[in-house]
Amino acid sequence: MIHVRELTKSYADLRQGSFVAVDSISFDAVRGQIYGLLGPNGAGKTTALRILSTMLQPTSGQATVNGYDVLTQPALVRRQIGYVSMNTAVYDRMTAWEMVEYFGRLYGIEPDRLRDRMEAIFERLQMNEIRDLLGAKMSTGMKQKVSIARAIVHDPPVLIFDEATSGLDVLVARALHKTVAELRDQGKCIVFSTHIMREVERLCDRIAILHRGHVLAEGTLVDLADQHSEPDLEELFFRLISEHDNNVVLTN
Amino acid sequence: MMKWQNVKWIYLREVRDQLRDRRTLFTIAVLPVLLYPLLGMTFLQVAQFSREHTTPVLVLGAGSLPETPRLLDENKFDTNFSSERDAKLFDLTIEPGLPAGVTATELRAWAEQQIHDGTYDAVVYFPGEFGERLNAFRDAMKKEQRESDSKQPETTRESVPIPEPELFVNTASDKSRMARERVESVLTRWRDSIVVDNLRDRRIPSVATKPFKVVSTDVARERSRRAAVWSKILPFVVLIWALTGAFYPAIDLCAGEKERGTLETLLCSPAERSEIAWGKLLTIMTFSMATSVLNLMSMGMTGAFIASRIAVLGGEVTTKLAIGTPPPAAVVWLLLALVPLSALFSAVSLAIAAFAKSSKEGQYYLMPVLMITLPLMMLPMMPTTELDLGMSLIPVAGVMLLLQALIEGQYLEAVRFVVPVMGVTSLCCLLAMRWAIDQFNKESVLFREGEQWGLGIWLRSLIRDRRETPSLSAAVLCGVLLLLIRFFAGFMFAKPETWAGFALTTVISLVGFIAIPAVLMSILLTRSPTKTLLLRAPRFDAAAMAALLALALHPANVAMGLLVQKVYPFSSDIVEQLKAFESVINGAPGLWAVILVLAVAPAICEEIAFRGFILSGMRHMGHKWVAILVTSVFFGAAHMILQQSLTACMVGMVLGYLAIQTGSLLPCIVFHMTHNSLSMVMAIGVPKLIETYPGLSFLFSDGEAGTLYQWPAIAVGLVLGIGLLNWFRNLPYEHTKEESLQEALDHQTVQLPAKS
Repeated sequence: MIHVRELTKSYADLRQGSFVAVDSISFDAVRGQIYGLLGPNGAGKTTALRILSTMLQPTSGQATVNGYDVLTQPALVRRQIGYVSMNTAVYDRMTAWEMVEYFGRLYGIEPDRLRDRMEAIFERLQMNEIRDLLGAKMSTGMKQKVSIARAIVHDPPVLIFDEATSGLDVLVARALHKTVAELRDQGKCIVFSTHIMREVERLCDRIAILHRGHVLAEGTLVDLADQHSEPDLEELFFRLISEHDNNVVLTN
Repeated sequence: MMKWQNVKWIYLREVRDQLRDRRTLFTIAVLPVLLYPLLGMTFLQVAQFSREHTTPVLVLGAGSLPETPRLLDENKFDTNFSSERDAKLFDLTIEPGLPAGVTATELRAWAEQQIHDGTYDAVVYFPGEFGERLNAFRDAMKKEQRESDSKQPETTRESVPIPEPELFVNTASDKSRMARERVESVLTRWRDSIVVDNLRDRRIPSVATKPFKVVSTDVARERSRRAAVWSKILPFVVLIWALTGAFYPAIDLCAGEKERGTLETLLCSPAERSEIAWGKLLTIMTFSMATSVLNLMSMGMTGAFIASRIAVLGGEVTTKLAIGTPPPAAVVWLLLALVPLSALFSAVSLAIAAFAKSSKEGQYYLMPVLMITLPLMMLPMMPTTELDLGMSLIPVAGVMLLLQALIEGQYLEAVRFVVPVMGVTSLCCLLAMRWAIDQFNKESVLFREGEQWGLGIWLRSLIRDRRETPSLSAAVLCGVLLLLIRFFAGFMFAKPETWAGFALTTVISLVGFIAIPAVLMSILLTRSPTKTLLLRAPRFDAAAMAALLALALHPANVAMGLLVQKVYPFSSDIVEQLKAFESVINGAPGLWAVILVLAVAPAICEEIAFRGFILSGMRHMGHKWVAILVTSVFFGAAHMILQQSLTACMVGMVLGYLAIQTGSLLPCIVFHMTHNSLSMVMAIGVPKLIETYPGLSFLFSDGEAGTLYQWPAIAVGLVLGIGLLNWFRNLPYEHTKEESLQEALDHQTVQLPAKS
């Protein structure tokens, strides 16, 4: 579903010439699977996912989503994905229903089908009580629900969640985890980025540990534990990151 | 493919969103409805105030006033010289002489202090012997009259000057200015009455001062007089509001959405960038037009109310302000013209707002936009500006002039220019839209973050981060730099009068001010100056084909130049200059020298700069034709004289195309050289040629406008030229990375079903 090969993104930077946010990363995510991108802040998770959602263009390397190239076929890629990130806000001056309906229309869904689908989504995400609430009056959790509804209204094969639980309380985060797991069970291919170990352990089938634009380790949780003989994910995470930082210091 | 259905959804959402925003509603609906009545009330208050405010005036030297005619009646001006009502507005303090302890020489400073302190608004001073001398003058006149009656004109009147009364005011203060008007009007009437008395004494009828009167009759009908006034005011008001009404929603719709984070949500939806841009454009247009219309209505109603109030107040103002309501046809035309104008303003605002990263940054750009638009709006208001083809091709100004003509009822005049005016306006709209859509595609614009900037770091980064060919900004910088150098160099050199001087300054400025800066910039700012300046051999036959193309297109080009001169005739200044230029050329040792200086040198130097450095940089935009167009605009602008700039711009398009298709500068130099040489030969060689071989006149005609090609030559040349251009079209040209990407993006098909 998602193939990423040696994907690199660098930004022009006055001081250093260029800043490499994502450095030649590769991974594959398939349907019916939650692929986790685990990394500290500034690891390049958001940049990588913005490239997958065609918001950014890669500097080099290739990424395809459901067979479409993110650089040369962005319009097609956007039809395959639902994208939820901390940067994709909801409109302040629109109600939950209007907002989801608006995006459904932009996807060209027939009005009758759209209404049925929205009723089902609002039911499933328990959003009926905020149906007519303006975005400005919603809590963070409510907004996140609307974002998810917006992202799945067209039933895309691929879903991308970028730090989707940041700022949510435990109850809402749990509900979100449940929704994501359900979507996986429906056969969606899901990419889920986070810096929270518990989420990864709970949700992800496969993960990549990302740090300073590099993939430090990749595989299922069991694989990783075996490879590095470290059953505790948090310990493993710290070890990999400090090893990498030490290497960088040494080579410099 | 753009789907209008999506544009509709986006439009409807944006409009609803704006209507739910209190700030927008306030600026668009509430403000205009309140603003004009408030302004009107203030105006009425001020008018009332100036009518009722009493003016304290000090009259000094009242003791030396003559007995007749009497100026002062106790502590008021005599009612003969000021009406009962006006007299009440004076608060007079009367002193028989100078104030205690002040001499006549100190009076100015003293009066200044009094006015400054606000004790008096004006001080009038009648010098000591004023009345006596005035009486003496009148007595002498009476005596003269008696003598002339008795036919004894022996005595000659010794003329003793009458000391002049002085009125001290301070024109920097409004009250004092008002006092001057009032006092002067009283004193003038008083003096006039003395004049009448004097004339009567000498038995001259008072009519003698005005033997006849000039009667001026306004032949304009009342309706057209009103139209003339409104045709100047209304378009201006409507335009200013159309611009403001477009700018603020645009900022909220683009920069505001970026700030609120909803733009990213929208951009990852399947709506295409062009659909988003069009939807937003239509929204902005709607609000721009609504603001304009609401302002117009509110202003109209307030204006009508004030006019009626002023009519009640009476006085001279009424006639000045009696322009009545605008004719209904004017309003209709205005609303029609509002559509293209607000489209243009909306497109420009949208592009700017898409570029701004925050609302705050967006607001900063309003000033520059106004600075560019205001002169375009003021131009048609100048009394000498009239609607002609040249004016109709200027954006904004053309529409305003067309509108003026329509309001004044000159329909036939206006109809002739509808096509060029609308053509230019639509072209500008489309360009602005294209720019806006590009902004939505650019990640650097969408995710622009503040970066520490310093001149030192920036200069270092320019050298360190240089690419094979110049960046877009380096190309723009080079273009602007060349124009600036050219502009200032114009002042540096005196106009040479000899051929040698002319040749020297021309070559120096071409090499020093065009070629060398471009070469230096290529060395400093690019990794591969040879690639930048296209210094490589083309296909073996490309240069020859370029020469042939220049030959084929020359007749059409000359015809085009002539057309341009018809549309924008040379000013007398320029005609002078061209004559001087011609006489300098005639001093050349031969045609070869002229060709060397005016064809070979410019071909090499200008191609290095324009098709070399600038075009290479512009190609990073990703649109071949836009790169060619922008380069040509710079190339045209460098020619300084408008008429030459326009033709140069067109030649520049062909040159840019050759550069891209052949990937080499050589064909461009050959084309440029051939083109310029042909022009020189036409001017110098051909007239002699026709004299010797009259048979050539099927090709050329020699007339007042110089040597020209005949129609068949133009037509054959054009056909041949198109064939040759097609040959160039089939050459495999090297795409830049950006151009390849753009082509791929343009070819992606949208409506495929999802692959599984």
